[in-house]
Amino acid sequence: MCGIVGYTGPREAIEILLDALKRLEYRGYDSAGLAVLENDIQIAKDRGEISQLEKSVPKLRGTVGIGHTRWATCGKPSKENAHPFLDCSGNFALVHNGIIENHRELRRELEAEGHLFTSETDTEVLVHLIEKYYDGNIEKAVRESLKRVKGTYAIAVIEKGSREIIAARKENPLVVGLGVGENFVASDVTALLNYTNKVIYVMDGEYAVISPIGVRLYDSSGNVISRTPSLVTWTIEDAQRGGFEHYMLKEIFEQPASIHNSLLGTLDGIEEGELLQNVNFDSVKIIGCGSSYHAAMVGKYIIESLAHIPVTLELSSEYRYSHGTRESPLVILISQSGETADTLAAAREARKRGCRTLAITNVVGSTITREVDEVFYTKAGPEIGVAATKSYITQLIALYLVGMRIGYVQRTLSHELLRSMKDQLRIMPRQVNAVLDNKEIVEEASDLLVNARNVFFIGRNINYPTMLEGALKLKEISYIHAEGYAAGELKHGPLALLDENTPVVASCIRDHTYEKMMSNISEVAARDSPVLAIGYEGDRDLMAIVDRFIGIPKVNPLFSPVPLTVVLQLLAYYTARKRGCPIDKPRNLAKSVTVE
Amino acid sequence: MKAVILAAGEGMRLRPFTYSRPKPMLPIGNRPILEYIVDALVSNDIKDIIMVVGYKKEKIMSYFQDGARFDARISYAFQEKQIGTAHALIAAKHFLDDNFVVLAGDNLIDSRIVSDLLHNGRIPSILVTESDIPSKYGVVQLEGNKITSIVEKPEVMVGNIISTGVYLFNHEILNAIEIEMCAGALGITNAIQKMLGKQDIYAVKTDGKWIDVVYPWDIIKVNAMALSSEGQTISGVVEDNVMIKGPVVIGAGTRIRSGTYINGPVLIGEGCEIGPHVSIFPTTSIGNNVRIDPYTYVSNSVIMNNVCIGSHSHLSHTVIDEGVMIASSLSCVCGQAFAKIDDDFFKLDNIGAMIGEDTIIGSHVAIAPGTIVGAGCRISDGVRLSGNLENKCVVV
Repeated sequence: MCGIVGYTGPREAIEILLDALKRLEYRGYDSAGLAVLENDIQIAKDRGEISQLEKSVPKLRGTVGIGHTRWATCGKPSKENAHPFLDCSGNFALVHNGIIENHRELRRELEAEGHLFTSETDTEVLVHLIEKYYDGNIEKAVRESLKRVKGTYAIAVIEKGSREIIAARKENPLVVGLGVGENFVASDVTALLNYTNKVIYVMDGEYAVISPIGVRLYDSSGNVISRTPSLVTWTIEDAQRGGFEHYMLKEIFEQPASIHNSLLGTLDGIEEGELLQNVNFDSVKIIGCGSSYHAAMVGKYIIESLAHIPVTLELSSEYRYSHGTRESPLVILISQSGETADTLAAAREARKRGCRTLAITNVVGSTITREVDEVFYTKAGPEIGVAATKSYITQLIALYLVGMRIGYVQRTLSHELLRSMKDQLRIMPRQVNAVLDNKEIVEEASDLLVNARNVFFIGRNINYPTMLEGALKLKEISYIHAEGYAAGELKHGPLALLDENTPVVASCIRDHTYEKMMSNISEVAARDSPVLAIGYEGDRDLMAIVDRFIGIPKVNPLFSPVPLTVVLQLLAYYTARKRGCPIDKPRNLAKSVTVE
Repeated sequence: MKAVILAAGEGMRLRPFTYSRPKPMLPIGNRPILEYIVDALVSNDIKDIIMVVGYKKEKIMSYFQDGARFDARISYAFQEKQIGTAHALIAAKHFLDDNFVVLAGDNLIDSRIVSDLLHNGRIPSILVTESDIPSKYGVVQLEGNKITSIVEKPEVMVGNIISTGVYLFNHEILNAIEIEMCAGALGITNAIQKMLGKQDIYAVKTDGKWIDVVYPWDIIKVNAMALSSEGQTISGVVEDNVMIKGPVVIGAGTRIRSGTYINGPVLIGEGCEIGPHVSIFPTTSIGNNVRIDPYTYVSNSVIMNNVCIGSHSHLSHTVIDEGVMIASSLSCVCGQAFAKIDDDFFKLDNIGAMIGEDTIIGSHVAIAPGTIVGAGCRISDGVRLSGNLENKCVVV
């Protein structure tokens, strides 16, 4: 998915384009660009989100322009592959959302005719086609070009010396916004709502010619179409969040679907795939930052238990400055965006040390995918809320899948055990669904944390990192100081900080650490700290010794981090909401961290 | 033109299949009922859609989101307590101007339904159709094309023309309905009944597809109607020695192992693992991420997402909800049965078992025809089941 926008009118185009693009960021954010026409067509592009482009863009003057925000499908995310594209003469600029299926043939044909391409994208053929068919009439050139392409598109084109934008669509959304003395075009009405609520929807096979004073609509053969404009009665925020109060909540509720999508085809790949085929290694090192590091910690338990090989962990920012050891483990690097500067540096360092590298990332074609030997993609889709939710959960799912694959290639996982592990994953969307169905219980339990200044999160074994993640979620969005601790470490210091004003959140599922956890919880309760425990549903022994209890379905303990994390996300969300915090945009934090 | 879809209800008569999803999200042919409605609207160029949601609303909102995936623009209005359709419609009032279509979110329709209504164009109008069981619906009486009376669930037979719950309204009618609602008519049918003397209301007849799913066993029948009757689309991996006959769709990432026999119409979703040696007969839908082990027989059944079925099972005229895990050798043969839902008794000629979500079933379990097993049950090895089981039962 990508987003396109266009403006023609009396105002400086650049500001409107940037603002409109930000509204389309949900459609993709791996690179962005715009073209503004004054005397010549001037182009500015950059990798990364719109805010990145906003910083790097020169002050382009001009009142006609088009813009684009990209989510790479054909050609990696890079400045070269960012839209808009110019033809060879620099007379036309074009942005495109969609996929041109026959771009290879067209490209060969155009290259043979002498057209010079500057990118790897499918889109660039369109602008060269327009140049090829141009004989003084841009509309005709666009019509002829579109006849040649197979695939889907929503495009906007500008021409040097003209104040008109030509926009056309097939199977990708396109809407024209009507202003006074100015007009707009965009992928989605949300991009335009700051300027107008009067819109014309362009239908499949139609194109529009948009000038500052009017809009003309045509079918694919150039016959005029008339259509009454529609009035939009909802607001920007409502539309994008699809009825949810915050992006974070929307994304929490998308997790069953994200897990489900992550499993499609990949379960089969455990036995039939090619990942780590014929690779020799006898240990694994997992590297990441922030939430990705917590996922890495969970990954340690997963891989050790499924593949019986030692796993070590490093923070990206530390690994790169550490001294290499003699071992050469398989290095797994985890980064949602694939652009995390520290993790990229760690990937390079690992290669330098001669290690086999595998990246787990959410962004197809991101930088890290070029720095490593193999890539495993999580299928979270774009995540808007700053707090990682579905991207973290899909990282865990990826680690289960990679762990099983390692177990399979290392021959440590029997057919029967692998089958039952696969079944556990198959029902994972259901376990998360069950947690979400009980959201009211979590909402009520969050009362315990709302007025706290400090909160401790404790857990053992595989849920120790889960509690670290829970603490991170709480501090990120509710601004309550929260610390995650391995429950056994509590008595080595932090117990001194506990009193009746310091609630403790404890995970306590019935695995081999259950008895120990129960006694840790009793220690805490003895210091008068209010305890909120998360355990298997119906655990009366646990309920008896704590102030609040939240149940999760009885899953295999190895898979318990998934439902448990979702409880902790909801807990952080409801606590922050009761405290009136700006949940989707916490202070001082940005979505992907591309500085070191 | 905009459309309002009333999708706040639970669908209690469909329990356990509405345990964690509202009725409009019930999958038919592996797609929620509501998606058929959205498609019918979009293909008639109605893309501004307001969904009134309530019971388990997040399920609807996170599936449809802002509608872009369906080429629509969807906004949401909330009806927290489901007390009537007029009340639900008024919840969407601030989104509406001009003329609009109102539809029920739990009826499967095709695009004809919407185009018939639009082409007639009279406002206000109600789309009507003939029904074999009018006593379950609002029955209308007509004079020409005007409605003279409308009675909700009449106890005595007054005719077989029923309201489909699909309306073409304008803002004026909305105000009139609001007035009647405030006077106590919480359903649209009641409100209209009250308005009849003061206002002409037109009926539009349709032959389009309008199917109501009322009881759990209707899922099988309606699913069979929804599956395509021609063509094959085979993605994923089909190993050697697999027989695929008739209209069959197999999704990406699915693996069909050797010796499997598939006789369409059959729809198999993505990421499934089927076989070796599984037999699947018409008319069956299988969701995504489903595992079916060797020597299992499936016929005329609906199996939803994320289900694991062990070897040597027999499933006929059976519905299995998401996340059900079956160890091995489950027997759900079909036969004659009596079922009771609310206070109604039904004699069913060909029915297997209805199994609710996340239920875990041991090996060698036999389920009698017409048995309804609730959500989240645990059934031990070797048990024989019949009758209705509540949610979260443990049977040893």
